[in-house]
Amino acid sequence: MGLLDKLSGWLGLKKKEVNILCLGLDNSGKTTIINQLKPSNTQAQEIVPTIGFNIEKFKSSSLSFTVFDMSGQSRYRSLWEHYYKESHAIIFVIDSSDKLRMVVAKEELDTLLNHEDIQDRKMPVLFFANKMDLRDALSSVKVSQKLCLENIKDKPWHICASNAIKGEGLQEGLDWLQDQIAQSYQNNEQVKA
Amino acid sequence: MSSVESSGDGGRWLDAHYDPVAGLYTFSSCVDLADLSGDGESRLVVGDLGTGSSGMKLKVYRGTALMSESVLLDLPAGLVAFFMDLHEPRIPAVAVASGPCIYVYKNLRPYFKFTLPSLEINPLEQDVWQQVREGQIDPLTLKEMLESIRKKDDVPLSIRSLRFLSLDVNDMDEFVQLHRQQPIRRQTVITCIGTLKKSTADEDGVSCLVIGTENSNVFILDPEAFTILSKMSLPAVPTMMDVTGQFDVEFRITVACRDGHIYILRRESDKPKYCVELSSHPAGLVRIGKNVVVGCTDESLQGFTQKGKKLWKIILPAPITTMAAMDLPTRGFQGVLVGLANCEVHLYRDKNLLSTIKAPDTVTSICFGRYGREDGTLIMTTKGGGLMVKILKRTAAFDDRDSAPGPPLAQSVRLNIPKKTKLYVDQTLRERENGLAMHRTFQMDLSRTRLAAARAYVKALESSLTPVSSSLSEPLKMNAVVQGLGPSFKLTLNVQNTAACRPIMNLAISFLYDENLYKVRNPYMRIPLLVPGLIYPIETFVENTNDKGVSDVIKVFVLHEGKSSPLLTAHINMPVSEGSTLN
Repeated sequence: MGLLDKLSGWLGLKKKEVNILCLGLDNSGKTTIINQLKPSNTQAQEIVPTIGFNIEKFKSSSLSFTVFDMSGQSRYRSLWEHYYKESHAIIFVIDSSDKLRMVVAKEELDTLLNHEDIQDRKMPVLFFANKMDLRDALSSVKVSQKLCLENIKDKPWHICASNAIKGEGLQEGLDWLQDQIAQSYQNNEQVKA
Repeated sequence: MSSVESSGDGGRWLDAHYDPVAGLYTFSSCVDLADLSGDGESRLVVGDLGTGSSGMKLKVYRGTALMSESVLLDLPAGLVAFFMDLHEPRIPAVAVASGPCIYVYKNLRPYFKFTLPSLEINPLEQDVWQQVREGQIDPLTLKEMLESIRKKDDVPLSIRSLRFLSLDVNDMDEFVQLHRQQPIRRQTVITCIGTLKKSTADEDGVSCLVIGTENSNVFILDPEAFTILSKMSLPAVPTMMDVTGQFDVEFRITVACRDGHIYILRRESDKPKYCVELSSHPAGLVRIGKNVVVGCTDESLQGFTQKGKKLWKIILPAPITTMAAMDLPTRGFQGVLVGLANCEVHLYRDKNLLSTIKAPDTVTSICFGRYGREDGTLIMTTKGGGLMVKILKRTAAFDDRDSAPGPPLAQSVRLNIPKKTKLYVDQTLRERENGLAMHRTFQMDLSRTRLAAARAYVKALESSLTPVSSSLSEPLKMNAVVQGLGPSFKLTLNVQNTAACRPIMNLAISFLYDENLYKVRNPYMRIPLLVPGLIYPIETFVENTNDKGVSDVIKVFVLHEGKSSPLLTAHINMPVSEGSTLN
């Protein structure tokens, strides 16, 4: 890394590029969450079921995010694994009111975490227990129990309840993700130094 | 909610929900899946039979929760969801067949009630009741007359007359008073119900209702006006049916009947086109593509073509409780789910068993399709009223292995056999030509070997050379242990009386050995009384007097006092004396 690059990095002129993969079952609210995280002038008004995937870019105070918003429909879920390699973090969205398909979410999460491109990497995983505003929604603690999140030992993870339509709980999750990424960068630089 | 152990299905199903006390008592004919609110989420619609006499309900489930329930007036015989009009949003109606009526629900509210046309009434019966109304005859005479009508005429009596005939003499008067003013009617009841697309094959196309009745008719109803579009008659009472095709184009109704036959009705005729005679009564009927799979009460599953030609038959491990089709168009998979009385659900593709699901209770109804937002959902209710939902894994694969017994796969793998040599060919020729002689020679040699073996054995027995005595009065067993390196050895003889209860007395042991080589301390020993079962160790010392490292056999005899022939003999191969060679 050149001196100029470092300098601009310190000064916050050049933001670090981070690839994030946004996964979850269909109708869990992935696109809505990403839409809320975008700057308000570029937000879409109507959210339709994603076909294949969308790429969205937005910036936070220190990082520049590139989000791969994958489709959650079962016929497109096989696409997910092709993007594991180049991503730095994962956002996993769960519809906390869909009790029936909690097992399906767990199954997909287990497949994801056991994939060879993910298994040995210490990438942060952020869970959104979405749709917390619905009457029959499970709490984030319940959701993490159902998904057996306590079994994830080798990756930093965090779950927060969210309401993507109003944007509640999203910033909290994103702040955590930012901290994690910043930490891992620091560690990397220490290793390099 | 608790998860259920589901071994044996190869981990293909996810246990999404199990409620053992859901209180759902129903059969496959009264269960359907439909998007009742038009939001893309399918609901489960169940006609609950309750206790069989009360508590009949129409229940709707969304996800894991009961969304609504409404009381049904009579036992449901069948339930289907169907599109009855072209209105937007496309919301299907639910038709519940019970008794002689079909109750149609739209948006889960009662919408329409269709009643089957009443049947022709026996004119004699009508006359009799007319007389009763006018007070001309008393109940006893009425009973007599009705009974004579019942015996003579072809047209059966009405329900009211039959009821009257079954009454006690005391209750008759009251019954007549209550009913005599109403005209008599004869009604039939619906036994099964199905749907038939009207003119398009679209998934959300308008469908006609197809109903089978107790008086052996099949009706096709118009979905909007509920008029009878077509009437067909069968030789027997239909119990289950499957409908395919479109009413305006071509259709095919496969009906399983109470006489153990399957009839196939087609558009152009009001009589069955084909008939399949089953060996026993049908317990389930499912159509897969163009073939029909029938489960019978003799624990068999049979496949037929649409023309009634039998394709295959397999025997199941238990009686069939229910059957349903498993159709997954997104993966191009079609199979038959068979619920068995041994609490298992088997999945068959043709005659091959693909998967076995173990349920905690006997499954009484099976429904497979899109539930919620998940396409491959299997919904089962159990005998105890439980509700079970399983979801097919996205990665699940069913390999089409042939479960029928036959040669294993390895047998068809070609072996690497070397080419036939000249020697091999010559030998083969020789064997072919002289086969008889070779066999005889072999047999003779075999007999000789056996003879020689038998002779040697008899000789050994006669001379008591064995360490086990064969005499009945003194059954003995002995083994010998030699300890030591030499030149001095310790010889322990373990003698055992193997008789059941009789002790043996007056025995002695003596040795036969080369006196140049060995010296035995006690060459003659008396054996104490041998109690049955116990092992008696008898010890003596043997010294090797030769220093050339030569060893020999010492023979041990167990003798009965006063008799010269030994009871048993043991040959002890003495080890080489190592002690002497060291010197």
